[in-house]
Amino acid sequence: MLEVNNLMVFFENALALNGLSLEVREGEIVGLIGSNSAGKTTLMNTVSGLIIDMKIKEMRKGGQRITVYGNIIYDGEDITETAPNQRVKKGIVLSRERHPIFPESSVMENFKIAGYLRSKTEVRETMDFVFTLFPPLVKLKNRKAGFLSGGEQQMLAIGRAMVVRPKLLLLDEPLLGLSPLMQKAVVDAIVNLNRESGITVLLSEQFARPVLPMVDRAYVVENGMLTLSGTGPELMNNPEIKAAYFGV
Amino acid sequence: MFIGTTIYALINTAILALMAIGFNLTFGISGIANFAYGALYVLAAYGVWMMLNLLHLPYLIAVVAAVILNLILGALIYRFVLIRVRGQGISEVIATFGIGLAVLEMFSYFGWVGFEYTLPVLIDRSYIIAGTYVDMQRIIILVFSIFLILGLWFFTHHTSIGLAFRGIAQDERTALTFGIDSDWIATLSISLGAGLAALAALFIIPLGSISPGEGYDVLIKALAVCIIGGLGSTGGVVMASFIVGFAERFTDTYIGSHWTMIVSLAAILIVLIVKPSGLFGKQKELEERI
Repeated sequence: MLEVNNLMVFFENALALNGLSLEVREGEIVGLIGSNSAGKTTLMNTVSGLIIDMKIKEMRKGGQRITVYGNIIYDGEDITETAPNQRVKKGIVLSRERHPIFPESSVMENFKIAGYLRSKTEVRETMDFVFTLFPPLVKLKNRKAGFLSGGEQQMLAIGRAMVVRPKLLLLDEPLLGLSPLMQKAVVDAIVNLNRESGITVLLSEQFARPVLPMVDRAYVVENGMLTLSGTGPELMNNPEIKAAYFGV
Repeated sequence: MFIGTTIYALINTAILALMAIGFNLTFGISGIANFAYGALYVLAAYGVWMMLNLLHLPYLIAVVAAVILNLILGALIYRFVLIRVRGQGISEVIATFGIGLAVLEMFSYFGWVGFEYTLPVLIDRSYIIAGTYVDMQRIIILVFSIFLILGLWFFTHHTSIGLAFRGIAQDERTALTFGIDSDWIATLSISLGAGLAALAALFIIPLGSISPGEGYDVLIKALAVCIIGGLGSTGGVVMASFIVGFAERFTDTYIGSHWTMIVSLAAILIVLIVKPSGLFGKQKELEERI
């Protein structure tokens, strides 16, 4: 479904991604494990196309020079230069790092804003679906999203991405800053989305422990390069992973 | 005298809100302080005047054409000028102020000033309400402002483009992940702001005459109302219009007309001291933006 070939991303002269290649097959949950500044967010932004928008805006005002080499193939089509809104139309939807919700808008309005490309009935249907997935959101419907707790905001962020009806859902650190209990709820929801709705998921995370049991395969990124890859159980038993990413 | 002053204060409020709403809309969505706003206001007025008096077009056609021209002009300003300085507050201000200055000074250069440069009132009639003489144009302004603000509220809360406006205003990059095109929305925001400037001119100009000075005046009033209300907040615009509108009229009646200007400036000063982001303002860096 998604194929990233030899991707290199420079911010001015700083190399953020260094010849990274990976593949996500339809119906999989793929993990991307790496510490801070490993290049996880850059990869997510490059796949979702945000980097194209950043590049154009920086170029216009003569700011930072962003360079992207390599290519991204989605459903057999080269989308390396495609604008982010076109990629969204093709079904690639990103939920950004640190769950940035629209703080001034109510939970319901967050869904409505996310439904820019969808009809009102579609938005309502997805909203009902998300409320079954994350029951705590139901009674927060009319609350300003900025007043939600971190966990609730994360639920909203993932649920809101569903409004766009993604085929490939990119989740950038969905477990960041959540309690173990909350992490479990979010993990269960992601697995549910994958199994029940058939959404392919690529998610990034710093810690391997909560992620590896749920993923089909995972990649380990360090300094913008892939260092390891394998199925969930394979990586679980890898001593290097245990040492570096289990947080013990 | 009190009732009369109150009626005129209400009308003054409506006029101020009408002047400020377009400026505020643009700023609220794209963060661009469009300093060409006053020039766009005057341009629309001269445009209608020319179409009526030189081309002898019917009023309705002239008005619709002027609004559409302003919408297009706003979009062009974004596409060809602002797009290059996007996100650099001071460059945006200089660029738009430059455009505004060029337009207004061009009209000054042509010497298009005088009482013959005015627009017709919509309905030439007047009433006596509670012992006060009020003409129909002012009543129309009052009613139109109320409908316009309600309409804008509906637009930004219940239509997909309006909701996209609010999304972009809150978090541009996140809005992009839902397929909202930020350049398109920014273009629309400037364009709509310019269109609202044209509408404001059509309703307000018949009370006076068209002159380049009017452009500076409208810009200053729009800025004052927006700063007091908190830039980008529609509730703030309404509230600030009430405060300035009433303060101006009551000062005029009870203290003296030469004090009116001071009152609104004093209101700005007090608000900036007590709550620098404006009454309804939320962003902390607003003081730096203007």
